[in-house]
Amino acid sequence: MTQNFKYLSPEWRDEAERRLKVELPPDRMNFVTSSMSNIYKNCPDGSEKYLYFKFMEGKFAEMLVGEGESPKPEFAVSGDYQTFAKITRGELGAQKALMTLKLKLKGNMVKALRLASLADRLNKVLATIPTDY
Amino acid sequence: MTIQPNDPYFIDFPKRIENIQRQMQKDNIDVYLGSRLRTLSWTTDAFFPWRSFIVIPPEGLPTAFTFVIDAARAADDSWLDEDHVFGFAPMGGQDQIEQIADFIKEILPAGKGRVGVESGMSNYLPEGWLTHYEYQQFAAALSGCELVNAHTIIDRLALIKDVGTINRFKEASRIVDVGHQAVLDAIKNGGWKGVTETEIAGIAALAMRRAGSEWEWSFTGGNEIASGYRTGYAGGACTPATRRPLQAGEPLMVDIHATFKLGLGDHSHNYLIGPATARQRWHADNFVNIVKKTLETYRAGITPSLLAEQMLAFAEAGGFADYMVPGYEHGIGMLGDEWRIGLNDGPFPFWTNPDHVYQENEVLICAMQYACPDENIGFRYENPIVLYKDHCKEMSKFPLAIEEI
Repeated sequence: MTQNFKYLSPEWRDEAERRLKVELPPDRMNFVTSSMSNIYKNCPDGSEKYLYFKFMEGKFAEMLVGEGESPKPEFAVSGDYQTFAKITRGELGAQKALMTLKLKLKGNMVKALRLASLADRLNKVLATIPTDY
Repeated sequence: MTIQPNDPYFIDFPKRIENIQRQMQKDNIDVYLGSRLRTLSWTTDAFFPWRSFIVIPPEGLPTAFTFVIDAARAADDSWLDEDHVFGFAPMGGQDQIEQIADFIKEILPAGKGRVGVESGMSNYLPEGWLTHYEYQQFAAALSGCELVNAHTIIDRLALIKDVGTINRFKEASRIVDVGHQAVLDAIKNGGWKGVTETEIAGIAALAMRRAGSEWEWSFTGGNEIASGYRTGYAGGACTPATRRPLQAGEPLMVDIHATFKLGLGDHSHNYLIGPATARQRWHADNFVNIVKKTLETYRAGITPSLLAEQMLAFAEAGGFADYMVPGYEHGIGMLGDEWRIGLNDGPFPFWTNPDHVYQENEVLICAMQYACPDENIGFRYENPIVLYKDHCKEMSKFPLAIEEI
């Protein structure tokens, strides 16, 4: 039986890092150097959490999960925990979430457009993690 | 796209920004939020056809904001890099109000300060003043900030043209002359027969683009062409081309526009499609004479009202004052700056001050209209001129005449 990970727990983070390193080598990440944070508001325990990724020339460099203020990313996407959960479960598209104000993006949108496909790849890998929300 | 200082079209944009910032400090403005097309052109060296803004901090580089579909192109054209040209779109956190307000708040200590905005009115539709709605939205998003009207900072700095700007206008004017030659070549020796106003506009456009023009910039319809009675609209000085065919015995007015690195060419030339009557020739000679007189009169130190008085007296003496539209100029600057002369300091807000004293290296369009609607005839002259101490120099060199074709 497959083990389920609790979303944003240290175990989930480790599993996410393992899968991202395997499934998204630098060429799949277009050798990009960038950083991004998901800011989760209204988490089930009432806290605000972040999930911070950093890529250096396409190599997975850093992934942090924490509470409070995220390290300053190039792009920050913020929204309710449940919105991110719906996106990860494939119940809501990220673009629709942005266009209906369920998510907010901070950062240079022109650059973000160039990275949209990479973010999509990243989300698809995360969606494969058996997760309890 | 950075131009090197030894390039004839070089403009020192970082210096322009520093000059703005110096004036902001004097006026106690913490951040300048520009929204006018002329401000975008003058500060970024790029064309911003969509609703756009520029945020100028107290020091350092400015950042432009435009519709996301055009931001990468604008950044490529500008001296600013892609980290200083942002795109906005209807997405969470990315709409223009929230994106720009957040950006400004990050500049201001504790998110509070005085924000200069551009509020006013114009006859020129694409001017880009901050709308009432935008003002309200920014005021709400920037609570704790005071929004103050500050457009005079840019207007004053942009009044006197630098060498690079004048050279861009000269090149745009050279291109316009190529367009006029192409039109003349096309219509002479009976070539006008069966040709419409729109075709004339297109013939000029093709020639000018081949010569390097980016587009026929005027919002009045690109190249303005009028034939027959359309040349003589009462007070009329705006004639987008129509499908009207040229006809024998009628006047033809060709007012064409070229763009070179945001410098603007704008020159009108007039013809009589033969056979011309003696009366038509009389009107034409009147017009050529008063244009010559006007060009001889323009110089630093004169004012629009003084010049108008002298030209009206000249027309009165020649017996054609009834046909002269009483205006001899309009303002001009880098793309988007096409209306009032000088500063907003006249008796009618945001119109040219008739007592504006011209200074050396001001550039304006010498713009004159002759209209006799009762006889279905009229002429237009436009030409960018640069003012010097005791004379002016017209930039388009196409010979002043009204030829019978």
